[in-house]
Amino acid sequence: MASAPNVCLSLSNRPENVLVVRQVLTGVAECLGLNALESNDLNTAVSEACNNVVMHAYDGEEGPMDVRVYALADGVRVVVRDRGRGIGGGEDGEGGGRPGIGMPVIEALTREASFEEPADGGTEVRMEFATPDARPVEPVGGAVPAHAGAGGSAPGRDGDDAGAVALKVAPEAIARAVLPRVLSTLAARAHFSTDRISDVQLVADVLAARSGESIDGSHLGMRVSLAPRSLEVLIGPLHAGRGESLMSAAADGLAPVVERLTDAVRVAPADSGETLELQLVDRRP
Amino acid sequence: MPSVTAKRPSSAGSGSSTAKDSRQLFARWQKHGDPTAREALVRQYMPLVRSLARRYGRSSEPFEDLLQVASLGLLKALDRYDAERGHPFASFAVPTILGEMRRYFRDSGWAVHVPRGAQERALKVRTAQERLSNEHGRAPTVNQLAEYLEYDTEDVIDALQAVEAYETLSLDAPRPRADGEVVPYGATFGENDARYELVELDATVTAVLKHLPARERLILRMRFVEDLTQTEIAERIGLSQMQVSRLLRRSLEQLRTLAHAG
Repeated sequence: MASAPNVCLSLSNRPENVLVVRQVLTGVAECLGLNALESNDLNTAVSEACNNVVMHAYDGEEGPMDVRVYALADGVRVVVRDRGRGIGGGEDGEGGGRPGIGMPVIEALTREASFEEPADGGTEVRMEFATPDARPVEPVGGAVPAHAGAGGSAPGRDGDDAGAVALKVAPEAIARAVLPRVLSTLAARAHFSTDRISDVQLVADVLAARSGESIDGSHLGMRVSLAPRSLEVLIGPLHAGRGESLMSAAADGLAPVVERLTDAVRVAPADSGETLELQLVDRRP
Repeated sequence: MPSVTAKRPSSAGSGSSTAKDSRQLFARWQKHGDPTAREALVRQYMPLVRSLARRYGRSSEPFEDLLQVASLGLLKALDRYDAERGHPFASFAVPTILGEMRRYFRDSGWAVHVPRGAQERALKVRTAQERLSNEHGRAPTVNQLAEYLEYDTEDVIDALQAVEAYETLSLDAPRPRADGEVVPYGATFGENDARYELVELDATVTAVLKHLPARERLILRMRFVEDLTQTEIAERIGLSQMQVSRLLRRSLEQLRTLAHAG
């Protein structure tokens, strides 16, 4: 339990965000070489936990949802956390508790599951899945900040840019599987055409592939804000001077991929290093 | 951290009066073999079965087959449930029904290869993407594709990623152009065509690029030097946009690998 999570995802409990979580899991499953059955179990159970947060944690209000994914030696652990009312209290159903078949589904598909109310509020669902044949990934050291993502407060809290999605991911192998999926999903939500989504995938590939040498710390941090046909992507924290190299990296001699495929790109100083800020727009007629 | 495992939520069918009715039905079926009682229970719990099949077998095809498998799980649970223990039926039935569906998927090879449904969907998404592009003169959005194909947006997003994965779909096969004419690659440019050499190269990159086939170099040039969209590139060289996307991703990946190796 000492090791840091491979993925930390912070988003609001909007229903459409469950798809972002599922895409993260599909990416992790792909990276670990899980078979379709294992991947389906993982997706189904974690979706139940997330749907619970969507429907019951905040009594119809918007609130934060945190998902952490750990690649273990012989399994995958996923922790879904909210800051809403606990599972024990509340008014629905007799005897309190959250209704539905979510919990039995989670219990049936996991090696181990627990439903707890941490002292500082909310609910934490911990799930562990047996994946005996998973490919090992590089262990991840270092601590992960209180919330995921580069800069800003965590999405879904106090209504501050509630639509944003923040992500931290390590190591590079998982970043390469997860980043394109997350960015494609958000681009799809922002009504990008498939043509432009393909560009977004190329950018995500570059960022993930070049992250290892550029990031300040163990995890690649990313924060994405959406507007119609527009994505704003913040990458960081990066080592000083690395934003520029990420920006101009990539096609190695071609016009730099990131610069060519984005509509605005800027390196901004942050704390000890810097962040790379990208804007991707779909300008089709 | 107080554990609340003792406070599991009440599940479907355990409400006061329904619970009593169910208990009677279970007694009539399990003790007396009364088929009308079983039928009543099946009717009562079919929504649970449907809901589980939808959740676990999301977008598996054909859905009706899976529903039948899940129903079989319900029948088994009806036989084995012990009402005297006081647990709600649903919490007993869920693992039984899921177990039945998992076995079905395992038997259909899900544990060893990519489910056929997913491959077929990827292919259909590609075809629909081309059709809609041709009709509207621009690439469709994921929502448009999902609506057109009656798929979840998730299926479409998976398909866009999967283009990379399914070599078996013969994504390299020549595609007919909008005018219906099929253009094989060899007809549009030669393998040794030097006209498409890329500008802005330094020595090491030139060496690296030489490892890429002419077609890939051409696509890279069109996208990054001429700044054509992927749809425009697709139209010019007789590929689908998704093929262009895949070739671009692969080429850039190769360039990265080669650059690092050198």
